[in-house]
Amino acid sequence: MVIKMNVNRSDYFSAIGRLACGLIVAFNFHFSNAIAQSPTDALMMDKQELCIAGMVSQDQWKQYWEGTLLRTNDNIGTLTRRTYMPMAAYGITSKLTVIAALPYITTQASGGQMAGALGFQDAGLFLKYKWLNEVRESLNFRAFATAGWGKPATSYLADYMPLQLGLGCQELSARAIFKLEWRDHLYMRTGIGYIQRGTAKAERDYYYTDKGIYTNIMDVPSALQGEAAVGAWLIGHTLQVEISTFAQKSLAGDDIRRQNAPQPTNKMNTWQAGGRLRYFAGFLNNFSLIAEHFQVVDGRNVGKSSIYTLGVTWQGYVKKTDK
Amino acid sequence: MKSTINILTILSITFLVSCQKEYPTGAEYDPYSFATLDEKGGTWTPILLNAPTQISVPSPVAITSPEYLAELDALKKSMAYAIDEDRKLITYWGNNPIVRWNEIARELAAKYNLTPAPNADGTYPAPSAANPGVYPYFPFAHPPYASRAFAYLSAAQFDGLIAAWHYKYQFNRPAPSKNAAAIVPVLPDQNLPSYPSDGAVIASVSVEILSALFPLEKEFLKTKAAEMRLMLSLSGMNVESDIVAGEELGKGIAAVYLKRASTDGMSKAQSSKAVSDSLANEAFKRFGWKWQNMESPQRPVGIAPLFGKVKPWYLVSVEAVRPPAPPELNSAAFQHAAKELQETANNLTNEQRKIANWWSDGLGTYTPPGHWNRFATDFIIKYKLNPIRTARVYAYLNTAVQDAGISCWDAKYYYNYPRPIQAMPGFKTILGTPNFPAYTSGHSTFSAAAASVLSYLFPQEKALVEKHAKEAADSRIYGGIHYRFDSEAGLEQGRKVAEFTVQKASKDGAD
Repeated sequence: MVIKMNVNRSDYFSAIGRLACGLIVAFNFHFSNAIAQSPTDALMMDKQELCIAGMVSQDQWKQYWEGTLLRTNDNIGTLTRRTYMPMAAYGITSKLTVIAALPYITTQASGGQMAGALGFQDAGLFLKYKWLNEVRESLNFRAFATAGWGKPATSYLADYMPLQLGLGCQELSARAIFKLEWRDHLYMRTGIGYIQRGTAKAERDYYYTDKGIYTNIMDVPSALQGEAAVGAWLIGHTLQVEISTFAQKSLAGDDIRRQNAPQPTNKMNTWQAGGRLRYFAGFLNNFSLIAEHFQVVDGRNVGKSSIYTLGVTWQGYVKKTDK
Repeated sequence: MKSTINILTILSITFLVSCQKEYPTGAEYDPYSFATLDEKGGTWTPILLNAPTQISVPSPVAITSPEYLAELDALKKSMAYAIDEDRKLITYWGNNPIVRWNEIARELAAKYNLTPAPNADGTYPAPSAANPGVYPYFPFAHPPYASRAFAYLSAAQFDGLIAAWHYKYQFNRPAPSKNAAAIVPVLPDQNLPSYPSDGAVIASVSVEILSALFPLEKEFLKTKAAEMRLMLSLSGMNVESDIVAGEELGKGIAAVYLKRASTDGMSKAQSSKAVSDSLANEAFKRFGWKWQNMESPQRPVGIAPLFGKVKPWYLVSVEAVRPPAPPELNSAAFQHAAKELQETANNLTNEQRKIANWWSDGLGTYTPPGHWNRFATDFIIKYKLNPIRTARVYAYLNTAVQDAGISCWDAKYYYNYPRPIQAMPGFKTILGTPNFPAYTSGHSTFSAAAASVLSYLFPQEKALVEKHAKEAADSRIYGGIHYRFDSEAGLEQGRKVAEFTVQKASKDGAD
């Protein structure tokens, strides 16, 4: 089994996570990638198996892309976003897992006089389905499909960028994840996803994109996401090592105008790379520890974030089985 | 694999469909019958013209003349060939196109209301009227600039229509539909004499004034004026000679206004650092405080330090409405106001946050003057005003709002009072603090003046607009960028400024 969650890939702002609890999940509300990974030993939660995870993530940036221009802004200084993410996954059957999460977020700017924000962000619910499992000699090919839904859990204001808690919109996501493993030692994974984002409610009823718009409703651009990873299991299968890269491209949206604040209508493209370690502590039954680091390499209307995540997972059965 | 593709296809289609949503880019209104025609509109007192006849308009040819009959024929043909795209123009402009020009001005204000980004070495570039296309683009349409743009546009439109009404009822040329049964106007038939075309006056005045104030938008504005010209004939409102006479009249009116604009002091409003520093030092000598920009890197000059010296429309002098000095920084009155800000920030309710944001009208928006033009537009449509009454509303609203800005900016730089983020170390806000001194609040001054004028012009809306003005004033306290005394003094100052405007309006012959 494996849990993975990694919060906030490069978002300017929004928190996100991706996680997998013995499965591949995609949980990233906003920016995130949601194509998480699933290491070898347990691709899915077993029937009636429960996984609980707690993750803490820090996302910091000093530079951001104003449209395509990479710049600093002393009135923001360094922007720090911390995400505290409780998450739970449960095996409905051995092929279908449900996952729920609710991140709590704080934001703060080291420069300027703008107040930070804090609060719960978006509630997320995901279903993950194991769709293919083919074994040929020492190779194992698997495919998964996930469907996700997210909705703001509080009345936080998305139109408070870059200090906002999230994008303030409902989202529906669909992802396909493919994984090829060699003898339970090495694996590669790739995934693609589509996130349909709804609208955010501003507290002003006029805003400008490339024209003046008289409403408090802002279209948040939908996006395509892609991920690729390679990984290995070491030290008697207790340590997982993985490197991966993730990209998101918005399918609509405007750019931040010169020296203006961002707004939820902006397109938000990001490309990031990083890695993770996961250790299954033999001395602590059912627990594992996770550490991750990702760096945004390129982007558009997003921060050039450096993201560190630490997490702990617990996994066990709700009911004792007779096995 | 195949099913993945299917899922993605379905999702993409959902996406494309959901993207069809169109949000309003202006007021939504159906063409309406005007509540009145104001046949005596040509006798009203103009704002800047010495008489409605200051710009002459040649007599039209007789409606029985071959030239006119040929024009009617041409009109019939162009109406017959109108395509759907043309009909969209008619729907967009409607029969009160001043509303659209007001929206265009708001949109340009929002587009150009961006503050210059710092250079790599920490200095700031400034927009230049001589080189408008070099970053930072000219103009920076901050609230004073926007207030002046709205005032020139609206006052010139009003004078243009007073002159148009004068000639319309002097020449009494009936509308094309009265002269040819085959011409069925697409817009409500109002029995308004058609020569010169009031629509053409509006288009021509608007394109001239806005092109001067937003020089990079000349081509865009020309396109808009051309669209409107097409609309005037496709809708059956005017023949070619009505339009040409209107355009010429409009140009003449615009020239009068642009002459005033070139000498009203605006070109000096964005002063040098030396002048700005001397204003701050005078305040320091007088009161013991001075305002400082708190951005990093620090902006050397605030927005328009000498806007208080720009020529007002009806305000007799800035001194006549300048409020008494704000509390000293170590006084009990100051401590009280600062405590209110801190406590409000610590316990901000969702309702207060909403009010702060709804009124923020900051960078990248149409500014508070734009917000008040929007309210006025709603009333204009609600009460089915005709074009000349519409122009009158915008003209008095915007001249009062600019005068309010002039008086407010006088107080801002005369008193040079620090903002909360300067005087209260560590204080954090949910709105960005503007780049000019605190006392008096611009939002409050603009809004009180606007509310006073709109209360006079729409007495039924008095309670609503006064509530709006009070809320606009409070919004700045909720946002953490003004003390209560800034807002209260601003409301009082705005009301006083508007008295001069209302006095003029009450004697212009319209009421």
